[in-house]
Amino acid sequence: MDRSSEFDRMKHVAFLEMMMEWMPSPYEAQEINRLTLAYFTISGLAILDALDPVYKDRIINWVLSLQAHPRDRAELENGQLYGFHGSRSSQFHRHDAKQQDSVPNGSHLASTYCALAILRIIDYDLSSIDSESILISMRHLQQPDGSFTPIHLGAEMDLRFVYCAAAICYMLNDWTGMDKEKAKDYILSCQSYDGGFGLVPGLESHGGGTFCAVAALRLMGFIEADALSKSTVATTINVPLLLEWCMQRQGVDGGFQGRANKASDTCYAFWVGGVLKILGAYHFLDKDALRRFLLSCESQYSGFKKFPEDVMPDLYHSYYGLAALSLLEEPGLIPLCVELGIPTKDAI
Amino acid sequence: MHGRPRNAPRSEESAAKADKLRDLQAQLLHNHHNRIYTNEAVAASAKLLEINPEINTAWNYRKLALQSNLKEVTDAEVIKALVDEELRVVESALRQNPKSYGAWYHRKWVLGHKFSPVNFDHEFWLLSRLLKLDPRNFHGWSYRRFVAALKHVPEVEELKYTMDMIDSNFSNYSAWHNRSLLLSNLLKQKAQGFVSKEKILTDEYDLVHQALFTEASDQSGWFYYLWLLNQTVSPDQPLVISSWPAHGSSWVLSTNRSKNGVKLFSSTSSNPCYCLPMETVPIILFFNQPVSGVNSSTVTVNSVFASNEDLNWRPLSSANSGSAHCWVTYLKISDARISGTSSVDVSLGHSQDIKSANGSPYTFPLLLKFTIELNFADVEQSGGNFGEELFVFNSDKVCFPLESPSISYFDQLKISENPAPLASGWDVETLSNEIRLFKESPDETCKFVKITLARLLVAYDALMSDRSPSSHKKTHSEEVLKLFNDLIQLDPVHAKFYEDERSLVILDQVTFDKESLMKHYGHFCKLTSSSLSYHSALRLNKLSLTRIGFVERLVWVQILDLSHNELQSISGLEALQLLTCVNLANNQLNSFAALEPLRLLSSLRVLDVSFNKVGLHPIDTKRYLCSSPMSHTTDIAQLIKDFKNTEFATYWEAISIFKDLQLTQLNIEGNAAANENLSLILKKALPNLIWLNGVHVQ
Repeated sequence: MDRSSEFDRMKHVAFLEMMMEWMPSPYEAQEINRLTLAYFTISGLAILDALDPVYKDRIINWVLSLQAHPRDRAELENGQLYGFHGSRSSQFHRHDAKQQDSVPNGSHLASTYCALAILRIIDYDLSSIDSESILISMRHLQQPDGSFTPIHLGAEMDLRFVYCAAAICYMLNDWTGMDKEKAKDYILSCQSYDGGFGLVPGLESHGGGTFCAVAALRLMGFIEADALSKSTVATTINVPLLLEWCMQRQGVDGGFQGRANKASDTCYAFWVGGVLKILGAYHFLDKDALRRFLLSCESQYSGFKKFPEDVMPDLYHSYYGLAALSLLEEPGLIPLCVELGIPTKDAI
Repeated sequence: MHGRPRNAPRSEESAAKADKLRDLQAQLLHNHHNRIYTNEAVAASAKLLEINPEINTAWNYRKLALQSNLKEVTDAEVIKALVDEELRVVESALRQNPKSYGAWYHRKWVLGHKFSPVNFDHEFWLLSRLLKLDPRNFHGWSYRRFVAALKHVPEVEELKYTMDMIDSNFSNYSAWHNRSLLLSNLLKQKAQGFVSKEKILTDEYDLVHQALFTEASDQSGWFYYLWLLNQTVSPDQPLVISSWPAHGSSWVLSTNRSKNGVKLFSSTSSNPCYCLPMETVPIILFFNQPVSGVNSSTVTVNSVFASNEDLNWRPLSSANSGSAHCWVTYLKISDARISGTSSVDVSLGHSQDIKSANGSPYTFPLLLKFTIELNFADVEQSGGNFGEELFVFNSDKVCFPLESPSISYFDQLKISENPAPLASGWDVETLSNEIRLFKESPDETCKFVKITLARLLVAYDALMSDRSPSSHKKTHSEEVLKLFNDLIQLDPVHAKFYEDERSLVILDQVTFDKESLMKHYGHFCKLTSSSLSYHSALRLNKLSLTRIGFVERLVWVQILDLSHNELQSISGLEALQLLTCVNLANNQLNSFAALEPLRLLSSLRVLDVSFNKVGLHPIDTKRYLCSSPMSHTTDIAQLIKDFKNTEFATYWEAISIFKDLQLTQLNIEGNAAANENLSLILKKALPNLIWLNGVHVQ
């Protein structure tokens, strides 16, 4: 590959180190999703092979402190999720409640995914957390059509949370948390006639939705089932059409767009590129052009921007810019476990 | 955060904002946990959400508060006021972030509960304002579908709305997409005003022309155009387009009980056309689209050879999905004690259980007849058997084209008794108008124009040859080839794609009729021994093919030479059930899994895959296109046992492809994967192998 233009790894390490310490004011609105911001930062540093071990205990304590615990086993059947809160500000402390009957807790499927991902990245033994509460309670979030609502009080239901559910079960190595067959049916119903996946059935195909669909199918074993397992289910997604849709997302500028006829955007280099990687079709794309596009989205200060013409970088695009460069096997970056969206475990 | 403009931070202002946020959040948590739903408390959560719509806890608090506060109320006005307040909070949150998932969901939740009558005018007004700001906001499109369903707005009305959106901006693919979905539904339901597909699609062509000729460099209209073209030419109903044996053909079957199966002669020739190693005669039905449900109750085969119920129909597809273009069953001849001429009738159409992927049933009654005369007398062994002696595909040894018995039925393979899907000829007329329009396009150097024109010409030729196979001889293939060659030059990034399309055009040209096929059809002259005197081979070598197509015209082929092409895939070859010898040497096949279609060829004896790229790429992309070869192996444990002490893990793909084949000759030299270990494995996997890489196997 053409490596003539330089990728300055240290610049990005500095950017993410800064994010470890502060939450910049433009992210105030995302305070509720603090775990997600932490996931971008920690996973980003891990991809850069620069996660300082001194953070480890601090991170573990903070993440674990966000877990919701039921008072007793009976509570696990009350319909609420006993997963992780996105941040302190949505956290419910038992002593806050005057009444004895249960008060809704704010733990969320996406935060739970981020919490487990962080713990896995820093090599925390996931078998030592209370996974039973998560698995038993998350079952109540699965809808009759197979989709997931991320929080028991109700919120939008779409492919994003099917993905979170699959990633959670995969990381906990226990699939009792969901009905895989139903989830598969829901995912299949989201594939559009052009081959991509919309976030809900009937919606326009979308790079993020397509990643969630394909990565979840892979995690659940419906795509490339374990080679030595005997019982595999033939998947019925239209793979050739899906490949075609993905390939057509790479634009003449080298970057990937998220939907037809939109501008190329840093993050879809991961979302769509990740789908191609999972399908084993990554070498079909024009890697040199994609790398040039990604480098054009590097901010002159550090981090990545959404579009080349933007001025300011942001954490989300910085993370997916790094993840995309890791898919491109940029020297100095740790390879990804693409379907989980984190660096591979053994490399850390 | 995603997709929103980022401004440089303003420190003082934001510090104050952060303080305020913190205070409001603390209030929210306190109220939430203590179930305080007073006006004041609820108002504080609104303030919080107006600053930060991402706090889903606050939305959920408001849901509980609303339900609690509505419990005691019966006055419609009060209810309305409470509901309106929720809608107002959502609106101001959306002003803050038009892509806030939580805000959109809250609005759906409130309206979906129908606490008070919904003011739909307001909802639609809000939507139109929002989609004016960002016409591609998929939350907006999703919400529009929700509101339309809630109000039971007819899809026709929604279709009009997409028209308005497209009118204001041709580039809005979201609107085009919604239009394609709505139109598909309306046409499927044959809704009022949508009975005539011809009329509706004609109007759509007019519409999309405006977009294309206003904004030729914009992709949206082109995508819609492709969808439209597909609607125009794609068959609604499944049909049988070819079969083997051909309708009306007569055969003489020689069963001299030699160990090498039966020989099939055309009744007009003394040279055998086929050696059928399995002592069975395949019956092949080829459909115009993948179908499921072909079995002995949907297809009846009347013959003296086997009772219909005993016949087992098999889909020929490596996808293992139970649906395929091509289906086969085998008539077992060896047990038959009947001599003389027997007729075989194959009929279908009496049951509606053969279905296409979209659920359309096969309905057209079809009867195919052919005869088989059994001849137990010893015939001269002039046909020879494959495999015992080394079979060499040598171009020098192929001589003179000659009318051969197996090709004599070529014209009858094709089933032309099918009803024309649109009897009016509307589609042909539409396509010729479209072709004329694009030929006159001032933008003829534009790649969109070129590829669309190529697709139109291909579609036109396909329609014409279906409608009047005898009169439509002159095709546009030369013109289309030129277009694809131009495109390869013009748009080298997508050269592989154009090469695939070009391959299909070349194959169409070559296989179009008997005349053109004969140019590629030859006999191998006497080779190493007298027993191989007449083998007729179809030679599609050196044609720059990257893929296979038009296999429905090739179902009769027994020896096929595809060498010296650029083949990366041989998908489609699985339909050629009579194939005994195939030459794939000097192509671009880069994995064992790419050979997967061969697994379904039970007659295959001689295979040459030398000088390909098998093993060159560590990542096997084909594996995901077909299901994993391992996934339909039930006795993997046995396999592992059989192959113990070998490098099973390294070669499992090779093993799973070859173990089902009964090859007597295989040439795999000149591939990255070829080495001593592989040879050992292959000899084990192929017990009947006599020749490996041109060397006699001991």
